[in-house]
Amino acid sequence: MATLSLSVSDFIALTNQTLEFAYPSIEVEGEVASFKVNQGKFVFFDLKDSGGSVGCFMMAWQLRVPIEDGMKVAVTATPKLTPWGKFSLTVRAVRPSGEGSLKKSFELLKVKLEKEGLFASERKRALPEVPQYIAVISSTQAAGYADFVKILGDRWGGMRVDVAQVQVQGADAPDQMIRALRYFNSQETVPQVIVIIRGGGSADDLSAFNDELLVREIATSRVPTLVGVGHEVDTSLADLAADVRAATPSNAAQLLVPDKHEIIRATRAKVAALLPRTGQAIDRQRQEVVGVLRRALVAIDHRHNDHQDQLASLRRVLAQLNPRTVLARGYALVRGQAVVGQTIEIEKQDILITAEVRHVSKK
Amino acid sequence: MSAKNNPTIAEKTARLNELVAWFDGDEFELEQALDKFTQAEKLAAEIEHDLLELKNSVEVVKAKFSEAS
Repeated sequence: MATLSLSVSDFIALTNQTLEFAYPSIEVEGEVASFKVNQGKFVFFDLKDSGGSVGCFMMAWQLRVPIEDGMKVAVTATPKLTPWGKFSLTVRAVRPSGEGSLKKSFELLKVKLEKEGLFASERKRALPEVPQYIAVISSTQAAGYADFVKILGDRWGGMRVDVAQVQVQGADAPDQMIRALRYFNSQETVPQVIVIIRGGGSADDLSAFNDELLVREIATSRVPTLVGVGHEVDTSLADLAADVRAATPSNAAQLLVPDKHEIIRATRAKVAALLPRTGQAIDRQRQEVVGVLRRALVAIDHRHNDHQDQLASLRRVLAQLNPRTVLARGYALVRGQAVVGQTIEIEKQDILITAEVRHVSKK
Repeated sequence: MSAKNNPTIAEKTARLNELVAWFDGDEFELEQALDKFTQAEKLAAEIEHDLLELKNSVEVVKAKFSEAS
């Protein structure tokens, strides 16, 4: 077997070529130790387990989730021998591994973004009441997507729904969703709302929605966003950054459009209520007419009584003026001329007397 | 965006609401009530028909997002 004779540089280059050929991309899982960021650009840490430790290097912009010492992570990397003879992993992506690390990473990023105001309620915009053009970012194979489209169609129609087919889990998912968000935001006619949906899954499945760059892209979208990821109990940072958060994809459809069946019921009820209202108007009119008639009758009655009273009064006056009334009081009515020798007639209440005038004198 | 002869659901709903409000307003006249009621009934039927007929147009966009362009 021939012995290779190489310079140090050639040996390092050959080793790196061999490593790159043998392990173009590997995922290594371990616990983070000695984590540090130099000049805000270069990230160094060790990845260790009970049997060993390996140094890792990556650019700060590639670090999409916060990590710290003690967290369990899986790195996607290429092994490399540095010009100084140190073996390390050149890391392209890091994802927290295990529930504890996912939670820790979630909390760290949440605090950071919260401080920046990304989740502030005053940033939230209202969704259009009844959108006519919506964009959906999801995997068309996902159950959550099918639920969303079905419920959307059951509730409302006539909308243009453009769908961006993307991965909603895995290392590539955040970048695909970011590209889809940029695509819809850059269209000449932008949709009225962008909906990002994904059905339920494990914390690891849903971790794509806690990606820092994706969360920032959602927060800065010029089109209002609605995010419905996982089940009701799941909260992602994408949810918090969205203008409106839906508990599930189905709930997203409910929040997005009104229910046409409810509108039909309400419309029918609205029209049905008009008939009783007309009936009430007729009743009011009738009561008004009855009231007027009643007042007229009362007025006629008053007039009648007044006339009756006047008549009675006149009758009493007439009765007083009747000569018979005077005769009844003992007076007599004398007819004829008061001339001596003339015959006169004297009428009393019940007798008539004929008499002769014998004497006339002044009183 | 609607032509005068082809009002949208929103426009029809607004017209229906106007008609309903007329029944509660000062301009209400018993003589016109039947005509207004008939109009409201017709509009409600049209709104129901439109709502049930309209379907969404769901289309997957051609752009690919798996790789940076």
